[in-house]
Amino acid sequence: MGLTEEILDDGIENYQKSKNFTKKEKMALLYSELMALNPEKINSDFYKNLKQFFSKEEIVELGAFIGFNIGYHTFFGTLNFYPMFSPDGRLVDQHESRRIYGDSPLSHLKGAIERSKNTD
Amino acid sequence: MSYIEPVDNVKNEKIKEMLAECEKYNIPGDLFLRILAHVPGYAESLYDAMKRSLYSGNVSHKLKELIRIQLAYISGDRYSQSLRSEIAQEEGLTEDDIQSACDDFKKSERFSEEEKWALSFSYFMYREPSKIDSKFYKTGKLFYSEAQIMEMGSFIALHYGLQVFMRTLNLNSIQ
Repeated sequence: MGLTEEILDDGIENYQKSKNFTKKEKMALLYSELMALNPEKINSDFYKNLKQFFSKEEIVELGAFIGFNIGYHTFFGTLNFYPMFSPDGRLVDQHESRRIYGDSPLSHLKGAIERSKNTD
Repeated sequence: MSYIEPVDNVKNEKIKEMLAECEKYNIPGDLFLRILAHVPGYAESLYDAMKRSLYSGNVSHKLKELIRIQLAYISGDRYSQSLRSEIAQEEGLTEDDIQSACDDFKKSERFSEEEKWALSFSYFMYREPSKIDSKFYKTGKLFYSEAQIMEMGSFIALHYGLQVFMRTLNLNSIQ
């Protein structure tokens, strides 16, 4: 569907200024960012703005999806496990995975892809 | 008044059954289910997950109810804060227990050391997740099996995540 690592990084770090996203997509990204970090900013005005781009059904789908993922990603983060696959799709053990991905979530473009190629 | 109107005239038969069940179980509450009903697939699966996670498994229902309400205070979800499990009340859960779980559980004499660990697990997960480290989990394993810890962690994740969403909808307390 065309989602690249560059677009992913842009979506996380720079979506508000980015040319990669439509206003509608930026609104959805803002919704998820605020729900995770500043839920008190999601008020009636925010929902009014959201309704300019999304139907009620889409908003409920987005909201529940975001909430669900906030909950589980935080829990998974405490378990200290690493991806089963390298960025190039190889099955790797936890030790190797940690070497490739590092201790904190980071863009794959900031080292993981390179480290994945170096299997020495 | 919710920022997303609940579905008043639910036509989906499965969701109608779930709404009827809400009268018996109270949680997750029929108002939230009516909002989720805008997306029937989500309503069915999330209601099922919330119900199963609270009412079945190998961790006591009473403890999970305490955790659920504690999380609702942390997430700022007034609606979930106000809901009460009748089953937990029949098992002896009181409002004083709930207040203590949300406030001073570490010092409280109401809770055993294992219950305090569980309440710390939910307390720290979204306030200070860095405190849930290998040492924390090692302590937990003195009281609970890995299966129970995964049950609790998943329960906390599911309920907190959806409570954050509910909070943003401005659902009022039922009382």
